[in-house]
Amino acid sequence: SDGAPGPGHWDADAAAGGLVDLAVPGGAFSGRRAPCLKNPVLGPGVLQAIRIFHTRQPSLAPIPCVPEYGGKVCLGLIPKEFFQFLYPKTGVRGPYVLGTGLILYSLSKEIYVITAETFSAISTIGLLIYVVKKYGASIGEFADKLSEQKIAQLEEVKQASIQQIQDAIDTEKSQQALVQKRHYLFDVQRNNIAMALELTYRERLHRVYREVKNRLDYHISVQNMMRRKEQEHMINWVEKHVVQSISAQQEKETIAKCIAGLKLLAKKAPSQPVL
Amino acid sequence: MNENLFASFAAPSMMGLPIVVLIVMFPSILFPTPSRLINNRLISIQQWLIQLTSKQLLAIHNQKGRTWALMLMSLILFIGSTNLLGLLPHSFTPTTQLSMNLGMAIPLWAGTVITGFRYKTKASLAHFLPQGTPLPLIPMLVVIETISLFIQPMALAVRLTANITAGHLLIHLIGGATLALINISATTAFITFIILILLTILEFAVALIQAYVFTLLVSLYLHDNT
Repeated sequence: SDGAPGPGHWDADAAAGGLVDLAVPGGAFSGRRAPCLKNPVLGPGVLQAIRIFHTRQPSLAPIPCVPEYGGKVCLGLIPKEFFQFLYPKTGVRGPYVLGTGLILYSLSKEIYVITAETFSAISTIGLLIYVVKKYGASIGEFADKLSEQKIAQLEEVKQASIQQIQDAIDTEKSQQALVQKRHYLFDVQRNNIAMALELTYRERLHRVYREVKNRLDYHISVQNMMRRKEQEHMINWVEKHVVQSISAQQEKETIAKCIAGLKLLAKKAPSQPVL
Repeated sequence: MNENLFASFAAPSMMGLPIVVLIVMFPSILFPTPSRLINNRLISIQQWLIQLTSKQLLAIHNQKGRTWALMLMSLILFIGSTNLLGLLPHSFTPTTQLSMNLGMAIPLWAGTVITGFRYKTKASLAHFLPQGTPLPLIPMLVVIETISLFIQPMALAVRLTANITAGHLLIHLIGGATLALINISATTAFITFIILILLTILEFAVALIQAYVFTLLVSLYLHDNT
């Protein structure tokens, strides 16, 4: 036989052991199974915390399981076991013959008298049988539906709670995953800052260059201007003196030479076509 | 065997012992206590019916009136179940006895009146005079209202007794008529039997309705006085 008893069966050892344990002052587990409970100050508190949950029927007497469906009946009144009991001796029709015989006997001997009450009985019982046969199943289903609704409500609460916790877990996991990827954000920010710094540095460098170049250009242009002025001045001075140095005689000689040369050219010129 | 029409209403006794006490206590067995969260079909249906009825009955009451919830619900369940059980053949209905109905009606009515007088004395006394009565009629009207007040428990008890007794009596009589007509003319007997069936349906309804009416009136008296 296996160690664990079936549902609803009474485990004598555990019950007896449990009872014995409860009888011992200081808790159900003192000594044998939980030495931590021997402490008189903390023992009772720990006992409450580790009390056994209901794993079996709450009663300590050997009661059988409550059946889910009722026993089978014939004619709504007589259990099928009675028919089974009479079957070996009288066969299938035995109980019916017995019933009919009893009824006819009581009627004929006026043990059961037919009075006004008989007819009211017939009408009442007939009505009841009709109602039960017609609406019995649907009323049963209605009752089952009521129970199912109750269970469904509680189940919904449980499922909602589970769903909530699951959502919380998923959110937490996604948050954790996000934390893993945070370094991308930091890299991008770092890059941004580095670029900004670089940009500012270059900008300033460029500005410095421009300023310096401005100043140098200024000096150069001042120099160039001085040189140009000096050149012009020199050229003017030279021209002036040259013009001054040309005497009237030299001028006349030069002009006469130019005219002679031109006349020479004029003689050569008509032999060539004018282009 | 029933010798006359009165026999079925006599207080039942077996060998000289009054078993009417057992009969009065019997309907309580038919309402099992719900021991678990999800019960069997009988308890589920009873719970649903009680919830429906109590919501309907207690909707009009204030906080004070709702302390009577248990009383009203037990009342309607008791009267309903005893009336319905009385329709079974050869059974005894306690609510056909005027003594028992008076025993239910007078204390309940007196309870409502005394509650009213204790907590809202002026309003309770004001009930004796309807609004807008011309001056010369006032003394007569006060007397009439007093009589009307004191008749309330009597009316409650007699109404229930008369209805249930009349119903049982009719069933008995028409059953007797059917029995007598069977030898004379089967067709007429059959018609009478159909009438009997219709009457039975009516009696089932009356059983429940009377319970409801009783409880409703008690609740109305309560409403006036809280």
